[in-house]
Amino acid sequence: MNWDAWLPLLVILSSLLPGLIIFALAEERVRLRTVLNLSGALIKLALVGWMLWGVYNGNHYETRLALLPNLDLVLRAGPLSLFFVTLSAVLWMVTTVYAIGYLEGSPHRSRFFGFFSLCVTTTVGVALAGNLITFLLFYELLTLATYPLLVHRGTEAARRAGRTYLAYTIFGGALLLLGTAWLYSITGTLEFAPQGGFLNGIGKEHHPALIIIFILLIAGFGVKAALVPLHGWLPKAMVAPAPVSALLHAVAVVKAGAFGIVRVVYDVFGVEFAADLGVTGPLAWLAAFTIIYGSLRALFQDDLKRRLAFSTVSQVSYITLGVAIAGPIATIGGVVHLVHQGLMKITLFFCAGNLAETLGIHKISEMNGVGRRMPWTMAAFTIGAFGMIGAPPIAGFITKWYLGLGALEVGQDWVIFVLAGSSLLNAAYFLPILHRAWFQEPPDAWPEEHNFGRKETAWALLLPPVLTAILALAVGLLVTLPFSPLEWAKLIAAREFYQP
Amino acid sequence: MNADIYAILLLLVVAWPLLLAIPALHSRLPWSRHLAIIPAAMLTVLPGDASLELSWLLFGTGFAVNSETRWILLMTVAIWFTAATLSKPSMRDHGNHATPFFFLTLTGNLGAILATDLISFFSFATLMGYSFYGLLIQDSNDEVRRAGRLYIIFLVVADLLLFEALLLAAFTTEDLRYEAVREAMAGASSLQFYLWMVLIGFALKAGVWPAHLWLLATYRSVQRSTALLLMGVPVAMGLLGAVRWLPLGEFDIQGTSEVIQIMGIVAFLYAAQKLIRRPALKILPAWITIAVTGMFIAALGAGLAHPAIWRQYEYLSYPFIAFMGILLATLTFFTSRLQDSPQSINLPSPRMAAFHLWVARCFNTLQRWTKESLFGFQSYWSSTWLKTLKQIQRMLDWQKPEGFVGEWSARITLFVLVGLALAWLAA
Repeated sequence: MNWDAWLPLLVILSSLLPGLIIFALAEERVRLRTVLNLSGALIKLALVGWMLWGVYNGNHYETRLALLPNLDLVLRAGPLSLFFVTLSAVLWMVTTVYAIGYLEGSPHRSRFFGFFSLCVTTTVGVALAGNLITFLLFYELLTLATYPLLVHRGTEAARRAGRTYLAYTIFGGALLLLGTAWLYSITGTLEFAPQGGFLNGIGKEHHPALIIIFILLIAGFGVKAALVPLHGWLPKAMVAPAPVSALLHAVAVVKAGAFGIVRVVYDVFGVEFAADLGVTGPLAWLAAFTIIYGSLRALFQDDLKRRLAFSTVSQVSYITLGVAIAGPIATIGGVVHLVHQGLMKITLFFCAGNLAETLGIHKISEMNGVGRRMPWTMAAFTIGAFGMIGAPPIAGFITKWYLGLGALEVGQDWVIFVLAGSSLLNAAYFLPILHRAWFQEPPDAWPEEHNFGRKETAWALLLPPVLTAILALAVGLLVTLPFSPLEWAKLIAAREFYQP
Repeated sequence: MNADIYAILLLLVVAWPLLLAIPALHSRLPWSRHLAIIPAAMLTVLPGDASLELSWLLFGTGFAVNSETRWILLMTVAIWFTAATLSKPSMRDHGNHATPFFFLTLTGNLGAILATDLISFFSFATLMGYSFYGLLIQDSNDEVRRAGRLYIIFLVVADLLLFEALLLAAFTTEDLRYEAVREAMAGASSLQFYLWMVLIGFALKAGVWPAHLWLLATYRSVQRSTALLLMGVPVAMGLLGAVRWLPLGEFDIQGTSEVIQIMGIVAFLYAAQKLIRRPALKILPAWITIAVTGMFIAALGAGLAHPAIWRQYEYLSYPFIAFMGILLATLTFFTSRLQDSPQSINLPSPRMAAFHLWVARCFNTLQRWTKESLFGFQSYWSSTWLKTLKQIQRMLDWQKPEGFVGEWSARITLFVLVGLALAWLAA
């Protein structure tokens, strides 16, 4: 075993070890905890950067540990897995800074940051998983790592949300386990196979069973990806602290679900085989329905985080839609949205957190004139919101562009109308927020204002959304640069999905 | 002139106002609004064509200035300079929240003019359109908010339609520069769909009838400096967009082009009949704008029907938009001055009063002349129609006694026609 073979495991350990140490730290060891958090995040970033360069140049990194006879724990760094790992590593770093500012002075921070590190560890495990059993293992660990974060505040609402979350995700996990076991009984392998999945050449007598397995796996992953009607936990989970919401919606949980769907369609079934089975069409329709449904529900929410939660329900399904359209260009659009949606949504949640922490604003109806009081926060929010609408040149435009072109490429013109309808609804629920914030007169007093001197809020709270907003803009503007998310998504499509 | 200097200037035209949108910067500079326009003004007066390729930006963007673009640039600079000078003192305050929108709208406007491809045009036009909303509703009263709401709804729908058109164009050709798209779309199977998306999209943006509601509402409610910009920002850019995006001069699109021409003429006539009813002074420029844009749409329809003629006279469309913009902006300026005069000018100087009187008299004469000519034409038209109708009536009266023939006229006609057809076939 050489150095390269340990790299995927080291990436996992870079957040796992600091997390375990943080659990043991006393509450008052603030500095050490911060050092551990940030150094873990930096080491992870450095390792991911190293692997990115290697994979770009054609290297492979794989850690294989024996788990059971014929079943190994496999961590493999390919273009697709690194795409998700990079997103997690970058946004974990930013969210850690934000969480340090957000939780300053609050109780149980060691517990929080311990689970926070575990959450990222499991997300990276999901991303690097080289077979379905490893994926499943980390996927379930992710559920367990996020639950304590969700109920961190300990309120009745938080506990209720936590229970709902557990009920949904354990049900989803059970479906996944069933589907995986059934699949293993048919194929005898669970190893992800780029370029056509591992079901190619399987006998026709298994096709009905495979259709049911596909439904089981998609339903299992669909819970975390918030596909309608399995989305109920997500709007309730917005009671969590803002850094957790940001992580749930942009990096960890919903993305793990969407990533699972990508894996099932491309690396388990293979997109052509899935299309032959006739399962991609209904999946595309389900994704389209979720996109519109989520936007419609978002339209009627006064609670800002709840509106953003329904927006996530809608936006994450772009990934599923891109995959289910089953064409190279649409796949690029879907895969690149893993990153694009992450950047835009984390910006919006950070901003929502800033409004709550600085002025006590939780509802949209309380946001009149807030742009004058917190211009930088609202400028970041504006970029995120316009990105979600799909205004050029922000990241969301690139996604919609590729999804639209991909749909035209494979003759599924109806998708264009779904995209247009979604954009229209996004405009209908984001523009009134911006209007209130920028053009309405501010009230005489804010619900619960905290004083930060001449600054609009604490630096640790302000810098992360500004940075992610700039990134959301930059990935749209500099879309053709070699390491841009779009170029990497093209690399994924070329190397893993649609090699000529 | 040195190409590098031109390249820097082209970049500055867009980047400089964008930079000035940062409050910390524009609040420290005196006359920042005027300063923001200087690179564009310089580009207007410098001789020769120039272009700048930015292949790393977006999907590969570029800026260019040539003799055609220069007309639009000239109009834009003139209108923005006047608007900057006329903006209310409160808007010039450093802490005014509408100021960044001024710079962002300007950036979008100049970028759209200089853009060399569809995506760049769309991106800058989007920036311009949404930022302009901030300028529109800076006087936050109910009327202004209503107008703003109407504007934003039209804008969102227009942008969606143009995005769809953009997708169709990108699906047809990888090269999204104007000329390439024109050529590619002329032979595309999705031509009709593209054509209507572009037309409706830009008609909504420019306030062309029947999508003129937002234009009326905004003219009615916004302050003078913003009303001035209405002509230079959404209307002129809407028309410019239509000229650049449509496959004009490439392909004879029969059928659709006639419909477009008729719609343009109807828009013109509709606005004209509104004008002769002497609308409120403040919305007079709005109706003239609607009439002019109607004429322009009719011209575009003619261009789609006769590509050779369009190619011959295309160069006139840019100065037309520019002159129209400047004339209508001037009109807006004077009408709003007249409108405001009792409140804003307590004691007008005799010279100014005489000038106002002269302008008012000119308008009255123009209106009277239009009314007389149109009503004269209308009376001739109606008398001719009445005469024809009477003749038809007489013919019907004449047929009445012939009960059998009247009752069986349709069948007899059919019989005769069938007979003629059979005879023709036999021959």
